[in-house]
Amino acid sequence: MSEASYLVELREAAPPAPERLREVIRALPTAERRRTLRFRPALAGAAAIAVAVGLGAAVIGGVTNSSNGNGTRTSAEGLAFQPNASAHDAAGQAARLPAWKALRSKDRSIILAPSLTAKSRLQRQDVSMSLRVKDLSGATQRAVATTRRLGGFVATADYSTDASAGNSRLIVRVPNGNLQKAIASFTQLGTILSQHISVTDLQVGVDRLDKRIAGARRAGDKNKATRLLRRRAALVREGTYAKVSLQLTTTKPAAKHVAPTRFDRFWDNTKDILGKELIAVLYALVIAGPFVLLAALAILGERARRRRADHRLLEEAG
Amino acid sequence: MPTSWPTGKRALREERSFATVAEEHLDDVYRYLLYMTGNSHLAEDLAAETFERALKRWRRFDPRRGAARTWLCQLARGAALDHFRSEQRRRKREGVYASDIPELDETVFGEGLSPELDRAVRSLSAAEREVIVLRVVLELDGETAARVLGIRPTAVSTRLSRALQKLEERMVSDVRG
Repeated sequence: MSEASYLVELREAAPPAPERLREVIRALPTAERRRTLRFRPALAGAAAIAVAVGLGAAVIGGVTNSSNGNGTRTSAEGLAFQPNASAHDAAGQAARLPAWKALRSKDRSIILAPSLTAKSRLQRQDVSMSLRVKDLSGATQRAVATTRRLGGFVATADYSTDASAGNSRLIVRVPNGNLQKAIASFTQLGTILSQHISVTDLQVGVDRLDKRIAGARRAGDKNKATRLLRRRAALVREGTYAKVSLQLTTTKPAAKHVAPTRFDRFWDNTKDILGKELIAVLYALVIAGPFVLLAALAILGERARRRRADHRLLEEAG
Repeated sequence: MPTSWPTGKRALREERSFATVAEEHLDDVYRYLLYMTGNSHLAEDLAAETFERALKRWRRFDPRRGAARTWLCQLARGAALDHFRSEQRRRKREGVYASDIPELDETVFGEGLSPELDRAVRSLSAAEREVIVLRVVLELDGETAARVLGIRPTAVSTRLSRALQKLEERMVSDVRG
């Protein structure tokens, strides 16, 4: 018997299904196949949706934050000009105005000289201003002239120039009553880079000294009364003249501050959110990756084991 | 009559009923199970069980992933393996080792089959008969048979070669007496 002949015989002799089995199969209820969700396309769709949601969140976040940018900046500037109310309370407490950048003095002339003083009380006032000027020599001379015109004097002057830039530092004392005029004049010298105003109440100290002097007089202690009077005079002197530190410079800022546009803020925020999302995805991959790999290996191993067991079972089955 | 389902976009357009597919591939499933079990009654029962399973899973069947005949053969294989496993457990439990293949004079694998060929086929293991029925009787190509068996096509060729060699040897020894 040739090989081909027994193979053909096997094929041709293969029996058909019995009629009773055919009847059983025909009696099965009919069922229509319905399209079901397939795993791989569903996974790809889910991934696409996740990416779209991530991008959408980044875009929405970028748009929202970019529209909030102006409001925040305005309120911050507004706060910068709020004097501290506690300056009028106890001695030793100071009102401070934070520095701000590149404000045109002519635009801010009203709020550059805020009235922090109370005329009925003795106060020590310290003002520190930094300005960028075009003509250093002329600005310095005008500052000195203004000081003298207002009844003040120059306590310290430090003037230096080189090839690229020049700096002038003046410490002037002006009468408290003319301090507002002095500040208003100094702001006209150039562009304000920073300003610091400090007000300290001295009235409490003067009142306390007055009481102690009266007590010393009643007790007949002339020496103590004289010593206390000297201290009082020094305190009054301190409260009569305000100290103004004026820093004039011709140096331009390292980089010109350009206010970002709304698109710039949107793009920055979007990049920021996308970066965070990417970090989150990487974290998830780093954490879940080994477990997924182990699970995949376990599944593959189980499949191989089951395949071998099935083959062994069929080998044993006669 | 086509022996397999259309694939790709055509498959989406051509929806076929379960009854049509069952009628078309009933003989193939029965023959496959007959060769695996070597018992016509058992093959009948397992074929019925196979189509019941197929009916339950019909909604999940995707013709783009493979032909209906391949899918049904995979289900039939699962049903046969479940049967063999339960038999193995029963034997271990009862300590009985009885032959499943009835020692009858009548041929099991077809009316027109010569007695020596029928005896030789019976003497093979279920694994050897399985690869013969898939490749020779049902005429599945190597790739499709490999998909049913869950192995590589080269492994199918090796198994088939060994099974046929063994079949020939049994026939020759049977003729020599």
